[in-house]
Amino acid sequence: MSDAILRCDKLEIGYGQSLLPPIDLSVTEGQFLGVVGRNGAGKTTFFRTLLGLMPPLGGSVALAPGTPIAYVPQVSQLDALLPIRSRDVVGWGTLRGWSFLRPGRPREERDARDRALREADAAVLAGEAYGELSQGQKQRVLFARMLASDPRLAFLDEPTAAMDVVAERHAFEGLVRLSRERRLTVVVVTHDVELCAKHADQVLFLDREDQTVIQGDPQTVFTHPEFVRHYGPVKVDHGG
Amino acid sequence: MGGERPTWEAFWGAIELFRDPILCALGAGVALGFLSVYVVARRMVFVSAAITQAAGLGVAASFFAGLKLGASFDPILGAAAASLLATLLFTADPARLRLTRDSLLGLVFAVCGGAAVLLASRVTQEQNEIQNIIFGSAVVVRPFDLQAVAAVGTLVLAIHLWWFRGLTFASFDPGVARVQGLPTRLLVTVVFLSIGVMVGVSARALGALPVFAFSTLPATAALLLARRRLWLTFLFAALLGGGAGVGGYMFAFFLEFPVGASQTVVAAGLVVLAFLVRLARR
Repeated sequence: MSDAILRCDKLEIGYGQSLLPPIDLSVTEGQFLGVVGRNGAGKTTFFRTLLGLMPPLGGSVALAPGTPIAYVPQVSQLDALLPIRSRDVVGWGTLRGWSFLRPGRPREERDARDRALREADAAVLAGEAYGELSQGQKQRVLFARMLASDPRLAFLDEPTAAMDVVAERHAFEGLVRLSRERRLTVVVVTHDVELCAKHADQVLFLDREDQTVIQGDPQTVFTHPEFVRHYGPVKVDHGG
Repeated sequence: MGGERPTWEAFWGAIELFRDPILCALGAGVALGFLSVYVVARRMVFVSAAITQAAGLGVAASFFAGLKLGASFDPILGAAAASLLATLLFTADPARLRLTRDSLLGLVFAVCGGAAVLLASRVTQEQNEIQNIIFGSAVVVRPFDLQAVAAVGTLVLAIHLWWFRGLTFASFDPGVARVQGLPTRLLVTVVFLSIGVMVGVSARALGALPVFAFSTLPATAALLLARRRLWLTFLFAALLGGGAGVGGYMFAFFLEFPVGASQTVVAAGLVVLAFLVRLARR
């Protein structure tokens, strides 16, 4: 699969019948892929298929062998009533495969956890009850958990959906900075096409209603007539 | 009844008689209390109710098989087998049968409850014991029941303490745990099987009613008490479960009430107490 870290070949997604035309995609190490589309466009189904949480209907998804992946959901499944500190949520990020069988909490796991909390600007939240945090703070903790797992490929499903505009911009810029520093490949579903136009290396536009899949650099996708018909013109100002 | 109230002297005088049921209630209370955090925090209280009901059916079926079919086996095996079977059913994906999880739970609960009563009606000479098992009147327990509760409880707690981080991650945030490569399905099945087998062996010894109480109420109280630490929630729940088991037995002895109902009421009392502590903290 050459130097691609993630590759989709004629990927068909859906429940029983295909939601979209087959998707071909290749993402290389360190790239930032933005997935955009309207509500119900098939973004989440695409995402769940990439993550292996549901099987493809056709075609294939391939990851580079041995690629550690991480996932930041739009809304955490963690119950707000569950008494758990943010540092313990982040600590879960250090678990991989059967590593939970190791007794105690090895020093390297604690170091990875604490480093991730600092990098995600969430160290001050470490001792706080996760369920009592604001949505923006929770998202910082989930970013930290993603970093604690030391992934090469990170999937983020509308990670800034619950944030205000300022917090969203701050979170997005932090994510871009971390991905550059760590050469982390990022696949992010977002509604914010402006931020996507600014930061993404590649964009995938999905629209179930019009049976449209457009993929390419931001300039190509955001000037495509099908995209412009739905979203209007978007200024592409890649900040790289 | 009508005479003098039981005294501490009378209690200590007969401690040889009470020791096994108290130890059994302590062991079952601790193990089920620990597991109750999964039951309550994962919002599957009705799973616990249905498994407990299945254990009751297993006991009734054991007596029925022994008396009517000549196939004699210990009721504790019947209880464990029925609750394990129900547990395995709940680990399957009900959507494949075009059912929702709730409808499957309702079906198992109703079928097991009805079938237990039907079987019990055909074994009249054992009906009193079956009633005791369903409602819980464990004034005495058999040594085998105590050994089973102790062995299964120790095994369950040992696995859960060793695998604590994996089991909690897979149970409370399964999607992310699966993406990180944890054997989520296995871990969730371990939690379900732990609940199933512990409910099964405890239901024969203590009765279905207190077992259901131990597998739900200690976590309800612990979640009110613990605010930030997950391990502390499990610890509180285990201690409260053990406390409800032993405290309920003493309550029943001194106030001359049925044991199972007393253990249930004491467990509920601990929830009220925890709620008051939470209010006082504010």
